[in-house]
Amino acid sequence: MKFIEKTNLTSLLAQLDAQYRLLVPVDYHGLTQFAPYSQVDSGVSQLYLDGNVTVSPKTVYLPQSEAMYKFSAQGKKLAIEEMPPLDRMQVLFGVRHCDTKAIQCLDKVFLDDTFADPQYKDKRDKTIVFSLACNNPKATCFCESMGIDRAHAEQSVADVQVYDLGERYGFEAVSDKGQACLNALNGMTDGEAKLPEQKPQSISFDAQGLPEKLKEMFDHPIWDEYAFKCLNCGTCSYICPTCHCFDINNKMRGTTGLKLRTWDSCMFGEYTQMAGGHQPRPGKKERVRNRFLHKLQYFNEKHNMSLCVGCGRCIAKCPVNMDITKFIRQVIAE
Amino acid sequence: MKASANDVKRLNNLIPKVGVVREILDETPDVKTFRISTPEGEKPFTPMPGQLGMYSMPAVGEAMFSVTSQGPDYIDMAIKKTGVLTEALHAMEVGQEVGIRGPYGNGFPIEKLKGRDITFVAGGIGLAPVRSLILYCLEHRADFGKINIIYGGRSKDDLCFKKDLFENWANLEDANVYVTIDRPQEGWDGHVGMVPDYLREISPNPEVAVVCGPPIMIKFALVALRELGFKDEDIITTLELRMKCGIGKCGRCNIGSNYVCLDGPVFTQAQLNEMPNEY
Ligand code: SF4
Ligand code: SF4
Ligand code: FES
Repeated sequence: MKFIEKTNLTSLLAQLDAQYRLLVPVDYHGLTQFAPYSQVDSGVSQLYLDGNVTVSPKTVYLPQSEAMYKFSAQGKKLAIEEMPPLDRMQVLFGVRHCDTKAIQCLDKVFLDDTFADPQYKDKRDKTIVFSLACNNPKATCFCESMGIDRAHAEQSVADVQVYDLGERYGFEAVSDKGQACLNALNGMTDGEAKLPEQKPQSISFDAQGLPEKLKEMFDHPIWDEYAFKCLNCGTCSYICPTCHCFDINNKMRGTTGLKLRTWDSCMFGEYTQMAGGHQPRPGKKERVRNRFLHKLQYFNEKHNMSLCVGCGRCIAKCPVNMDITKFIRQVIAE
Repeated sequence: MKASANDVKRLNNLIPKVGVVREILDETPDVKTFRISTPEGEKPFTPMPGQLGMYSMPAVGEAMFSVTSQGPDYIDMAIKKTGVLTEALHAMEVGQEVGIRGPYGNGFPIEKLKGRDITFVAGGIGLAPVRSLILYCLEHRADFGKINIIYGGRSKDDLCFKKDLFENWANLEDANVYVTIDRPQEGWDGHVGMVPDYLREISPNPEVAVVCGPPIMIKFALVALRELGFKDEDIITTLELRMKCGIGKCGRCNIGSNYVCLDGPVFTQAQLNEMPNEY
């Protein structure tokens, strides 16, 4: 393991920032999210390493709004121009383990064998992920119950594993990319260290057999109970590190335009509304059910993993206190 | 010469090619068929029967349609006017450049159909996807058994592909075409009545049925087919849901863990029985 004293962290980040486009977790006027390191450097935002950020790192790979191509449409003529790839490597510093798992979920969708998404892949290939283990989970965290390893980040996503060791941070390379990046950094010491103690999570359950159980519950009255208070506001999907549904729309200026993909949510009626008037999921019961089942059953059936990683964001942010863990526990108890 | 966007091998499946509208055919007052090839005069892509294409006017929007027929250098899409985009598409003139990407979806299970009698049951614009398979079967006639085509529209003006129905297919010796309209109409001396009732009357050999049309027609055709002895695994239908990406990423076309754009749009009734009723 390599170490750096906490008091020297900024010198380490400055080195990374000089070589890469560095993204770090920040607190910007009360909202925590990933942002370019220059924001910290210039004092616009404060580095935030106390807990996980509110806006998940999916923004780095699947931005809220992303240009897919440019076009110009003039009279009968149409021209299409692809967007350029990223022009430099970037470092994403301080991703929590639940969110590395969430990125693995996104990989299943966007890096599949037949239709891999080049824009997503470009960003995945050009990002070095430093993943920071959590010692002090928040009250809404339940990643352990969703099978996340709190001591080790998802290996297919993390390049460097970081531990908070009190007075200092410990770094361990997970991939070759991470090793090369670490080797090029100055001011670190080498040695051995015991992994930090991790406080237990207050929400804990055994989710074994959940997808199988849900498969039999499509017409269960539980959906009325949970859908009743939902506002279909979509906050839970926007805030979720694995929710990846997008809309495709455009922004025109005169005869030229940008084709954009923007976050969408199965909580919105528009999402499935057809031009002729047909609506396969007409109300919030169908929408709440779809979101929960996609997370906890459908994704499992397709990819053999859960699409909820237990980050707790939706619990913390839902305006009507929808609690996915309460739902899971109730299903298990059925 | 500067490489045009269509020259590069398209690695990004969400970015359309440029296509040119070569011909526009009025089918009914609200359905037109558009023939599209690339600016170089080539076929934009080669779909299998039942596969889909994403058709876009980038400044307005894009939508998924079945490819109803194809030739060596073009594909045809029959489009019904139902909203803002389709209205814009209907307003197009020959020579208009549009975005085109595909093919998407599974298409009809050709292998499973080989050697068997096929009954096609379609209503309204539902003939568009079914037609791609009918044309395939006629082209490879020896591979299939008897062919019955049962088609209905609200009125005679609402019948699509009249040239096929009343000329090309009507004169074939090895295919039977049955056309019906919902209510009697002046100038119509053909059959009058609903498709499911006509289906019972004709009572085709219960081997394989391919059904597509308005939901209400499908519902009653299904009852009739079961009465006639068709098995659910031999009743094939194609679904329509809202789609954006066509490649299982944007999420919206799911029915349970299936994506209609990837695992469909063609399903057997037996498959649908296992899926949540959200289509
Ligand atoms: S955040 Fe809460 S209220 Fe809003 S859509 Fe999600 S569950 Fe419903
Ligand atoms: S569903 Fe909620 S707890 Fe699960 S990953 Fe998404 S935001 Fe986190
Ligand atoms: S259309 Fe996007 S997932 Fe099917």
